[in-house]
Amino acid sequence: MKKNPGFGFYTFLVVFLLFILFPFYYIFLTSIRTPLEIFSTFNLYTLSPTIQNYIRAFTVRPFGRYLYNSFVVSGVTTFISIVFASFTAYAVARLKFKGKSLLLAVVLGVSMFPQIAIISPIYIFLRDMGLRNTHIGLVIPYITFSLPLAIWYLSTFFKEIPFSLEEAAKIDGASPFQAFYKVIAPLAAPGVFTTAILVFIGAWNEYLFAFTLNTDDRMRTVTVGITMFNAQYSIPWGDIAAAAVIVTVPLIVMVLLFQKRIVSGLTSGAVKG
Amino acid sequence: MKLKRKKPVNLERKHEALTAYLMVFPSILIILAMALWPVISSFWNSLFDLRLNHPAKNKITLEYRINLERFVDTQYYINSIFRQIRASEELNSDPAKVDEIYNGLVELRENLKIQPGIIDKYIKVEEILNNMKPVTDEDIRYAVVSKDFAEHYLAKVESARNGFQALSKANDDAADQGAELMEELRTSLLEPNYIGFDNYARYAGELGVQENGEIGRLGKSLINTIIITVVSVFFELVLGIIIALIINRPYVGRGLTRAAVLVPWAVPTVVSARMWAFLYDGQTGIFAHWLVKLGIIKDGGVLLSTKAGAFFSVIFADVWKTTPYMALLLLAGLQGISDDLYEAASIDGANRIKQFFHITLPLLKPTIVVSLLFRTLDAFRIFDLIFVLTGGGPGNSTESISMYAYTTMFSQMEFGRGATLSIVVFLCVALISFIYIKFLGADVMGGRLEQRR
Repeated sequence: MKKNPGFGFYTFLVVFLLFILFPFYYIFLTSIRTPLEIFSTFNLYTLSPTIQNYIRAFTVRPFGRYLYNSFVVSGVTTFISIVFASFTAYAVARLKFKGKSLLLAVVLGVSMFPQIAIISPIYIFLRDMGLRNTHIGLVIPYITFSLPLAIWYLSTFFKEIPFSLEEAAKIDGASPFQAFYKVIAPLAAPGVFTTAILVFIGAWNEYLFAFTLNTDDRMRTVTVGITMFNAQYSIPWGDIAAAAVIVTVPLIVMVLLFQKRIVSGLTSGAVKG
Repeated sequence: MKLKRKKPVNLERKHEALTAYLMVFPSILIILAMALWPVISSFWNSLFDLRLNHPAKNKITLEYRINLERFVDTQYYINSIFRQIRASEELNSDPAKVDEIYNGLVELRENLKIQPGIIDKYIKVEEILNNMKPVTDEDIRYAVVSKDFAEHYLAKVESARNGFQALSKANDDAADQGAELMEELRTSLLEPNYIGFDNYARYAGELGVQENGEIGRLGKSLINTIIITVVSVFFELVLGIIIALIINRPYVGRGLTRAAVLVPWAVPTVVSARMWAFLYDGQTGIFAHWLVKLGIIKDGGVLLSTKAGAFFSVIFADVWKTTPYMALLLLAGLQGISDDLYEAASIDGANRIKQFFHITLPLLKPTIVVSLLFRTLDAFRIFDLIFVLTGGGPGNSTESISMYAYTTMFSQMEFGRGATLSIVVFLCVALISFIYIKFLGADVMGGRLEQRR
């Protein structure tokens, strides 16, 4: 089954990677082209790169503000979810209590809720509370999907921490809570970090709530902002491509830096159970 | 089940459970408040004729309410109508009849004022209207009245209308205008907008073939959603397995592959939708251009402007974004299968294909079931990709059920109906989960819960 990979294998690999990465390359290429070139050629290179599209992305639309909004909303969402989820996940992974299966079933079930089924009451609630077009107004619905996700991932990671260490701490007289923050928390840090990345990406990528709740241009997030680049007669593809690159690059950097962690997080959530 | 030695009830145990509940409690509270409550609320809203842009129906109400602003305003006109009638010899031929109508309406007004909670609001509304201003405070404009009073009200208004009509001698004379004013009075009373399962009945009707010979909009959007879900999940699974099998070996560039595979997964769906919209574009899209060169399509425009083209575009973009992720999950599952099994099998003379069906597939089944379930649910809820890539078009031909629910709620502001559709999505998702767990892997899902205990 596992021979040394040969020519055929690498051909396949290259085709596969091209399939995945070509759209990104072409979008990047478009982002450094002049509008005239975008509409006149299908070449896979450009001889006259320009940064005009990037300048326009930030000036035609308040793209910097969109980035800031996304960053604040995703950051706060991640922080809150991680705090609450780590307590819950610790209890699930380590402590004995009745109703644990029910809790996990509810968490799993809620993580699969279609967002469309909860959007109308949340919309009415946030409107009545005057929380539309605020950061916290987006954080609230984001918690609904990020908290179950975080509980699910974290309880997997917490299970993998050797139980004996905690027992030792308890024998030395630590309460369960002390055992949590003195022994388990430092060991759990990598898992917490991975979960934070996954939750952050999930919140960063959210569109439906952001589009519906924050209609004030100053309060839009990047995902909504990128759909706002429209002109009357022709679509400004250069600006859109530049915006897409700006949104994608931080994600690519994150993926390159933390790929091992992200993969272990994703697969432990789905494969190991 | 192992038999456990019975332990004395021990304080430490109790303490542990208490700590656990304390740690779990905040999350439970959040989940109840922000996920379960909205679903229940959505269901509740779906039983009402709730329209956010309709002044009389923008709140759910089980009670009769009266629009005092309208009622008081109408009183001025009523007085002026009676002045006109009494001044006209022709209309005032039977003054007793006129007085009867007049007294009936006065009685109605006085009866309204003595209803509980009315008089204060009534006086305020009168004051505001006397100053020629509109009533802006909803709490003052509307007042709840009892069902008995509502019936009395409607009967009185109806008899006054009949009285006016009997008096009327010609079109648009004062008595005729009086009859029309009674319509104003009648609509000042707002009936409860609770409609039971009417919304559901309406959408059940949209499932089948309509009078015009086409399938109703809900039926179409359901079919669209199912086609997109089944086709894209099928390709993602098959391609995912193939890719995972091929790259499940040590080779130079593993890290690069893994990072590359993660990029489409990490990019927001909206961003990938916009990217593909550009690549598919009839004028500037290189993907459309290549397909034309290959002779697969006649001109670049068909990708987003025809039904078949739009379906292909949506599914292709979804497969591009999700296959790598699927392959990654399956690869992790494959790596959990011991090499010894394959060695033993090949010693026993089993060929590759036999090994795949007898070792790989059964052992990979838990991973496959779980990834399939998550992917199916994800694909069934599809919104972002279609919304941004095709906008549901051309026509409504690629509209998914989530999009239908969304436009009903936020374009038409029909929240009652939209809530009904969103409950339909919720029930479909619940049904899909049930089917998967029941028929494909109760043990798998159970195991997932079990392992966390």
